[in-house]
Amino acid sequence: MAEILLCNQPVDTKGIESQWGIASSDILGGGDNANPASLIPYRPYLISQNPSVLDRSLVNQLGPRNIAQNLTDMSLSFGADNTLALAHITAKLKEYNIATTGAVTSLYGHRVQGFGVAVKKYQDALLAYRDVLQSKSAGRVLAKQRAFAAYKQMQTRFRFELQAVTAASKARRGTPLTSATRATNIARSSRNVARLHVVDQFQASNLVKLGKQAKFLGNGLAVIDFGVRVGNIENSYKTGGNWEREMFVESSSFALSAGAGSAIINAGGAVLSFLVVATPIGWVGLIIGGAVIAASAAGAGIWVNNTVKNNSGGIYDAIMKLIYAL
Amino acid sequence: MTPTQKIIGVLIAINFFIMILFIVFGQITVRKLRKNPATKDELGIEFVSGWDIINVAQALSMPSSIMRKFKNTKLAFLHANVDLLIQHTNKFDRILARLFYWLLMTSGLFMAMWALLDVTGVIRFFS
Repeated sequence: MAEILLCNQPVDTKGIESQWGIASSDILGGGDNANPASLIPYRPYLISQNPSVLDRSLVNQLGPRNIAQNLTDMSLSFGADNTLALAHITAKLKEYNIATTGAVTSLYGHRVQGFGVAVKKYQDALLAYRDVLQSKSAGRVLAKQRAFAAYKQMQTRFRFELQAVTAASKARRGTPLTSATRATNIARSSRNVARLHVVDQFQASNLVKLGKQAKFLGNGLAVIDFGVRVGNIENSYKTGGNWEREMFVESSSFALSAGAGSAIINAGGAVLSFLVVATPIGWVGLIIGGAVIAASAAGAGIWVNNTVKNNSGGIYDAIMKLIYAL
Repeated sequence: MTPTQKIIGVLIAINFFIMILFIVFGQITVRKLRKNPATKDELGIEFVSGWDIINVAQALSMPSSIMRKFKNTKLAFLHANVDLLIQHTNKFDRILARLFYWLLMTSGLFMAMWALLDVTGVIRFFS
């Protein structure tokens, strides 16, 4: 296991030694720069007496500035445990979305995306609070209230997801994801050093992916499916293929599978409500009904996606023939 | 073109129109409702950003007696509040909503039905 040190402003290693009890001789920078006298912000450092090859490669993976910067900010505002848990969840989400292909095809996919958005809102509120405190401007009460409100919204809507994320974290005082008080305290105490425990290569690669996403979390989640499709178009362009045709195929199959998925989810919601009105259906029935709707939306999305992909190439050719004939 | 390609071609054309209607309805009607403090919290569940557009379209398109019944169930949070919406929309909004909603539903559910019949092997005459 590698322990990684991140900071968001220059820190003297002597200070770290007295404050955190980490011997300065144990802090290793990337490359040949062993035992630096002070830490450069937004750069991962390894804490180890005799690092293995694996440890070094883990740190190098997290090295690029854009990744390290996001990771540092996230670890500071969320705590190390939660950052690792979020990286894990986001990776799962990617697998899930790629498996179902149509972006709008699954009820649960949306819920996870909604969770990501709620966490992001909370985080933004916390960062805003920290900015207000640091600039010593007015409105700190308001900013704190905003953070608490964002927390409450996240807590009421995504209780189960939060439990799943925070179950692995053992901090006694609670973590920012389980307690808004703890989070605002962390924001106020203006910490600037965070420690991450990276267990294996897999976890490091998840962290890299998480760090790459535009602004912490958020928009990255919505464009995953699109990324795959755009990748297909780009491949066709690079290999000198007919990329306009590929674009027509990808965008029409996306639009139609999304349409089928949203129609099923919306109609399914109406059917469930109707069952509630007309029959004595209970919560168990509703949950099963919801699962059936999600599954059929995903299934129909996949079917439509495949069928359209197999056929829209021919449609494109026919349209082109028509245009050339004019 | 094979019969399957012809049908999918028509579906692509309809869906293109639906996408335009989605944006237009979202910008003209739902934007207005989102800004209105009386209605902004009554637009139904938002599985994904923009889902409230479909909820509003549904509330304005389905028979209002059915939508009113939904309002008193434990699944009310799924749907938009029909009475409030009728108060705050005009005739044009409602026509737009119906056009958008029923096009989306017919084309989407047609594809779903087609998928079901194809997967269960009931029909094979399209391809």
